[in-house]
Amino acid sequence: MKTMRYVVRGVCGVLLMTFTMLSLQTPAYAGMVGTAEVIDQQQAVMDRAQLLTALNREDVRAQLIAMGVDPKAAQERVAALSDAELQAAAGNVQTLPAGGDILGIAVLIFLVLLFTDIMGYTHIFPFVKKTVH
Amino acid sequence: MSVAAAFKKSHDLSSARYAPGGMLMALLLLNGCAAHLQATKLTTTPPLELAQSVELEQVPFYPQERYQCGPAALATVLTWSGVAIKPEDLVAEVYLPQRHGSLQVEMAAAARHHGRVSYILAPDLQAVLEEVRAGHPVVVLLNLGLSWYPRWHYAVVVGFDLQRDLLVLRSGTERRDVISLELFERMWRRGERWALVAMPPAELPATAQELPYLRAVLPFEQTEDWETAAKAYAAAWQRWPESIGAEMGLGNSAYGRGDYAEAAEIYRRLLTQYPGFAPALNNLAQTMAKMGDFTAGERYAEEAIAAGGVQNKVYAETLREIRDHIGQ
Repeated sequence: MKTMRYVVRGVCGVLLMTFTMLSLQTPAYAGMVGTAEVIDQQQAVMDRAQLLTALNREDVRAQLIAMGVDPKAAQERVAALSDAELQAAAGNVQTLPAGGDILGIAVLIFLVLLFTDIMGYTHIFPFVKKTVH
Repeated sequence: MSVAAAFKKSHDLSSARYAPGGMLMALLLLNGCAAHLQATKLTTTPPLELAQSVELEQVPFYPQERYQCGPAALATVLTWSGVAIKPEDLVAEVYLPQRHGSLQVEMAAAARHHGRVSYILAPDLQAVLEEVRAGHPVVVLLNLGLSWYPRWHYAVVVGFDLQRDLLVLRSGTERRDVISLELFERMWRRGERWALVAMPPAELPATAQELPYLRAVLPFEQTEDWETAAKAYAAAWQRWPESIGAEMGLGNSAYGRGDYAEAAEIYRRLLTQYPGFAPALNNLAQTMAKMGDFTAGERYAEEAIAAGGVQNKVYAETLREIRDHIGQ
């Protein structure tokens, strides 16, 4: 039981350290008021946002790796995201729109979309020429 | 059949309750019927400033590889903005193998990574056209399919002709994909009207608004890219001379790259414009301390505390640090 408690404590310690280190990335220069604070003047909100940012960073990084991104590249890609972008991506990497292309459509869907293409509601098949009035 | 006629027909059919074809049509087109289109108004009565047709022929074209319209669209606008880059260089930055596509947030982040300000336009068709008219190609997220069967796709708007109801895209494997404004708007609306310009930091988007623009610049400060931040803040300050955020950002960028004399000058200028603005007083105090003038630093820190505000803890810390130095 006692060992269990030590393990838990150790894990918590490591987690806490990770988050502290992660959140240290934000203040670029000690003692200064950043432009962000001037634009969105709410310190309490900022503090919470900072903690969330650290959590989001970890979450998005894990999701990128799960989506087939190389772990090292994932680290860099997460670092490139702004706080607001992280917030948008956290928990949503698998469901957000991912612009790709249009191949691999099942037959039924093909017919439906061909129809809607001809009607001018969709634009999937380049061979369906739109008449422009 | 014109789109308007198709519209009417779909309404007629959907009202025929038990007609299976009608049900199918209704299901398919529900999304299309939901709201009126901006395109209709723009093409029937074009605003004066958009009446002339525009095509940015010098915008390059990168035919996309399978699934990789994200890297292709991004390379298109980055090359236009003066960054030497190919789509394949961007795959490692924006492509998600398991999703067969790229996320909007990563598109924006990657443009910034290459020193360009990623500005998300207001969700307004006219804003897209105004950017193109100003010479800026616009990356858009389109849903080529239907709301319940999305086919997400990035393309770049490079031209339009409202008189003839045409829009020109660099899209997929087509250098000039010419479609009607209405079709574009339908697909764009299904992509939640997301549009991005990647601007060189010294140039503002034509439709830039103060706060959204400053927020688009902030991440450069967070990653300590002071050069880029300074240029973008300077451009913002020129456009909005009253902007506290732009001027503060200019001062902070000068401080960040160690140019304390310039930082001090900017904070002072800001303070003559907005006397008693505590964040500027605090940062001026820090700057004076960096330049070794602790007496002036102490005075400004005291003024910051007297002015007060949500950042009071920071000001108190500044004063304490400076007094520690004086005490030594």
